[in-house]
Amino acid sequence: MAIVRTEKLSKVYNPDTVPVHALRDVSIEINEGEFTAVRGPSGSGKTTLLNMIGGLDKPTSGNVFISGQEISKMKDSKRIDFRLQNIGFVFQHYNLIPVFTARENVSFIMLLQKRNKKEIQQRADELLEQVGLGDRKDARPVQLSGGQQQRVAVARALASEPKFILADEPTANLDTESAMNLLDIMERMNREQNVTFVFSTHDQRVIDRARRVITMVDGAIHKDEIQHADEKEEA
Amino acid sequence: MKTLLTISWRNIWRHPARSSVLLAAIIVGLWAGVVTVGIINGLMQQRIDYMIESEITHAQVHNPDFLAEGYSWLYIPDHDEITAWLENDDRVTSFTSRTITDGMLQSPIKTSGVRIRGINIDSEIRTTNFHENIVEGEYLDSDIRNAVIIGQKLANDHNVEVGNRIVLTFEDTGNELTSGSFNIAGIFKSASVDYDERNVFIRSDEFIALLGDEEVYHEIGIMLADEELAGPVVEELNGAFPGIHAQTWRQLSPELSMLVELGGYMVILITMIIMIALAFGILNTMLMALFERMREIGMLLSIGMSRLRVFSMIMIESIILTITGAAVGIVLATLSINYFSDTGINLEMFAEGAAQVGWDHIIYPILSSTEYIIILAVVVIITLLASVYPAIKGIRINPLEAAKDG
Repeated sequence: MAIVRTEKLSKVYNPDTVPVHALRDVSIEINEGEFTAVRGPSGSGKTTLLNMIGGLDKPTSGNVFISGQEISKMKDSKRIDFRLQNIGFVFQHYNLIPVFTARENVSFIMLLQKRNKKEIQQRADELLEQVGLGDRKDARPVQLSGGQQQRVAVARALASEPKFILADEPTANLDTESAMNLLDIMERMNREQNVTFVFSTHDQRVIDRARRVITMVDGAIHKDEIQHADEKEEA
Repeated sequence: MKTLLTISWRNIWRHPARSSVLLAAIIVGLWAGVVTVGIINGLMQQRIDYMIESEITHAQVHNPDFLAEGYSWLYIPDHDEITAWLENDDRVTSFTSRTITDGMLQSPIKTSGVRIRGINIDSEIRTTNFHENIVEGEYLDSDIRNAVIIGQKLANDHNVEVGNRIVLTFEDTGNELTSGSFNIAGIFKSASVDYDERNVFIRSDEFIALLGDEEVYHEIGIMLADEELAGPVVEELNGAFPGIHAQTWRQLSPELSMLVELGGYMVILITMIIMIALAFGILNTMLMALFERMREIGMLLSIGMSRLRVFSMIMIESIILTITGAAVGIVLATLSINYFSDTGINLEMFAEGAAQVGWDHIIYPILSSTEYIIILAVVVIITLLASVYPAIKGIRINPLEAAKDG
């Protein structure tokens, strides 16, 4: 079964004044274990699509189903809780809590989920090890490079054990080495732990590594291609 | 909860300078509120104490028409019975009888209307502390015959000094005009320039000799063990002696009573002004802190932090700041009040103007524990109310802020 399914998703901003059609009848399915990039020029609707899938914004028409549950009709408070339990987010600007250490940033979401403290500590340490920051657990964001901060953000997104992770331009602010490093980590998690990733990106480095690339133009899906189809099976 | 406390506590110290300014605003607001109320209370109490202890006393007895008319023949009937009654009452700590009439003071350069007060030195010293107001020469316990003490303002107006003579003219008990020549033994300066200009003091025995054959008294000033006893004592006196009119200090000096009431309103007004300024300061700082964290709060909402938790996080920041500021503020304010209630606050630079309206230049602030609690509660409530708006704004942030550029 698809983890994410959208049906004729449309989003119109300023419908009464100067209507802007950010999405036009977008219907897609994303299955478990996919490593998908949504590409397209600025204003093509890729971020809007991710916001709809992530339950951060409501569509003008159409539906969004996550594991069979229609989230676009949910009440705000229910949607917040749904996001907490089901969706991981990685933002372009990392958006870590500046007053928390790397470990606290990763633990925070699990504390919101009211998990056992021992388990939280253990999982936070494991995830930071996995993203290569085992020795920087007590560093605050300001003491970390951009690439390191984004790796903490990936660890945080994974911490809640979401059904999938949405990453909005995750490499946009990173140098090549940091970007490749981050992609290696995400790809490894996808391969080894079957974590589903959906990116919005302009970055050719990300597009080249994605196994499915959805191209958007003017709010509609222009192309939906599978690449490196055999890689995951080989691994 | 522990996580919310941790994040709130660290958020406070994200900008130490800004939080310190906010903390300082709460501390200064509370301190200023307490000290201002303390000073106003001190001023009121000082005025009351001064008026009671130096002149009015807790209660007075007069002929019912005397205060309105001021004639010497309107003396107190049954004076000896009343004093005997007072002597036998345990609530009365001391009393003094005064012979009083309105008259004229003549010096070589001019004539002024004055109230002539004949006093019994021993009982007056036991009852009031007016003798402490002598600034030049001696009190009426001097050896000088026909001694008079006059106010400094009056002495300056008439260009007279200790040792000079003046003439006092008044109507005696037989309605005849009479005068006497008096030697200035001393000059007094009370807290009221107006009082200094209109009153002269002579010995009652010398005054009575000029007024007529009878020993007459126009006023009995009574000091009681407690100010609260004034009402019951006055009531009993009026009941026991129908020909007299006994009054409490509040009845005798309605303007003083009104002043006390006005002081209460002043306290509320000044506290409100300070608190409103404080509220806007807090509101501004909290809003600034919030606007700076729009993206971060958007992220918190995106990853699944409930709006109630975001609201709590912002409110906890305010509560921590408020509790810290209020605790420090109340300690500083208490120390200040305790210190100044011993040493007094010297307002010498304003003393000239203050004396005109009857105030001393050293103020001893006073604050009751109820007033401390009220001010503390007002500061805490105002601070928290001022934080509610930023907190509400915080929970209305769109989670999409997290993904915004810039």
